[in-house]
Amino acid sequence: MKKLLIILMFALLPLSLVAQSALAAGGPPKDILKGKITEMNVAERTVVFQKDGTEEMTTLVLGENMKPEDIRLNKKVLISLDKHAAAGNVMKEVSVMFMNLTGSKLLALLVIGLIGGLLSGFIGSGGAFVMTPAMMSLGVPGAVAVASNMCHKFPKAMIGAYKRWKYGQADIKLGMVMAGTAIIGVQIGIEIQKYIMDHFGSAGSNLYISTVFMIVLVFVGGYVFYDAMKLAKGDGKETVSKLALRMQKIQLAPMMHFKTAKVTISAWITVPVGVLTGMLAATIAVGGFIGVPGMIYVVGASAIVASATELIIAFVMGAWGSVQWGLSGLIDIRLSLLLLATSLIGVQLGALGTTYVKDYIIKVVMATTMLIVAVSRGVKIPGYLVDLELTSPIDPGTIALFESISFWSLILALGSAGLIIVVAMVKGMSADRQSKKALAGA
Amino acid sequence: MNITAFDKNMSAIAFAEAGEHDTARQILGENAKKQHAKSPVPAAKSKPYLKTIIFGSMSLSAYYLLFTNEKLVTQVFTMGGWHWVFPVGAAFFFSFIHGAFASNLLSSIGIEAKK
Repeated sequence: MKKLLIILMFALLPLSLVAQSALAAGGPPKDILKGKITEMNVAERTVVFQKDGTEEMTTLVLGENMKPEDIRLNKKVLISLDKHAAAGNVMKEVSVMFMNLTGSKLLALLVIGLIGGLLSGFIGSGGAFVMTPAMMSLGVPGAVAVASNMCHKFPKAMIGAYKRWKYGQADIKLGMVMAGTAIIGVQIGIEIQKYIMDHFGSAGSNLYISTVFMIVLVFVGGYVFYDAMKLAKGDGKETVSKLALRMQKIQLAPMMHFKTAKVTISAWITVPVGVLTGMLAATIAVGGFIGVPGMIYVVGASAIVASATELIIAFVMGAWGSVQWGLSGLIDIRLSLLLLATSLIGVQLGALGTTYVKDYIIKVVMATTMLIVAVSRGVKIPGYLVDLELTSPIDPGTIALFESISFWSLILALGSAGLIIVVAMVKGMSADRQSKKALAGA
Repeated sequence: MNITAFDKNMSAIAFAEAGEHDTARQILGENAKKQHAKSPVPAAKSKPYLKTIIFGSMSLSAYYLLFTNEKLVTQVFTMGGWHWVFPVGAAFFFSFIHGAFASNLLSSIGIEAKK
């Protein structure tokens, strides 16, 4: 345990330097104000705002779409300013930063945490794609939801990575190489995002994110599913993909040897996989959906090693992200800790579950999740096309229907993945128990 | 030549019938010891109930402390700047104690990784 921790800590040191420079490049939004509204003048539609950490008072004007009822006095709020307004002090939106945690919200967070953790321990990633939207639908402002989710992700990934390392599944060196290069990818991803944001606005950026999400998920998820089905029909024994075998033949210095993954491969192959993982992580927030298949089909690691190694990547990137979000003070630690309360149990359960199942079950779970999540993004595309005026307007009822399909398909993805894992684990455990009994009886 | 358990049992019986009880016992005892070491079912390990309770109560009290001081905590943790150490440190702290609790809890209810 100590050895692993020391290795991880040292790996984080150089990354903190990268984090410093990345801070200037992207990360948390900057056009958001954080502080308290102390007074309101309903007739003039103005409020007096005190920015966090300062005594300075500024006057802000309510935007056209805002109602005085939206304003809560003396509560910590997040205010987004209208960038297109003539004056610099027009508000577009205001949201209370810390929601009141009622019993049902608490329970929802605990349940999401448990299933998300289970998925994470099993396939190496998972949860983030449903936790952020779920938190937002509970009334958490978007930026706070992303930040709090990030802060819950890295401790969860750390515990999961440690467990799977103990089972001899995680390749620390591969994880570190991937994480290091993924951070470069994140920077590239952020630059692309910024370019699109500047040229096509937020609808363009949403369209770009959803389209990338769809294409990657359908193609990669579809291939993983096809592969898993082939394995399920056969003897379930995993073979190294032809592509990976060809890649391993490329003898281009520097060559890297990964002991746990049992792979010797040129850095010229590993680095692009890492960069793509990072780029995707910056774009769709779930790098694992490309990292795990990349490690399986391009590098040539087994599904068990790839999903375990992904947890190391998730830890490094999550810790790096949490520091950034922490610097802008957007983490609601209550949400992070409530998710952690159950996800730390889930992640260990998922991790030990991998010791009972055949390798291809991991692929089945991964593919199922990816394909259902693809639906959730796909149904959002028509709405964005309308926003960009690329198609004729759609009836608001239809848009609302798409929105609810999107949300419920995420829940379905989480639920079905959780179910497959539990069933596979219970089967594996009872088979193991019976074979032990048979041996003991003999 | 391998001596099977059957052979051993038979020779022990032979010695016992001949009145050499000690030798018989010796043969059987050796047999039992070897079988114990080779047994595919490991001897029941004592479950970590105490650890579960200790880490569980540590974690529970930490959660209690944090949520009863909710206002102060959310205020300080979201100041930004160097205050990032609070949320990140808290996440680390909770992951260690609560993670240890979760690990021991799973072992206590008998869910362990396949060896």
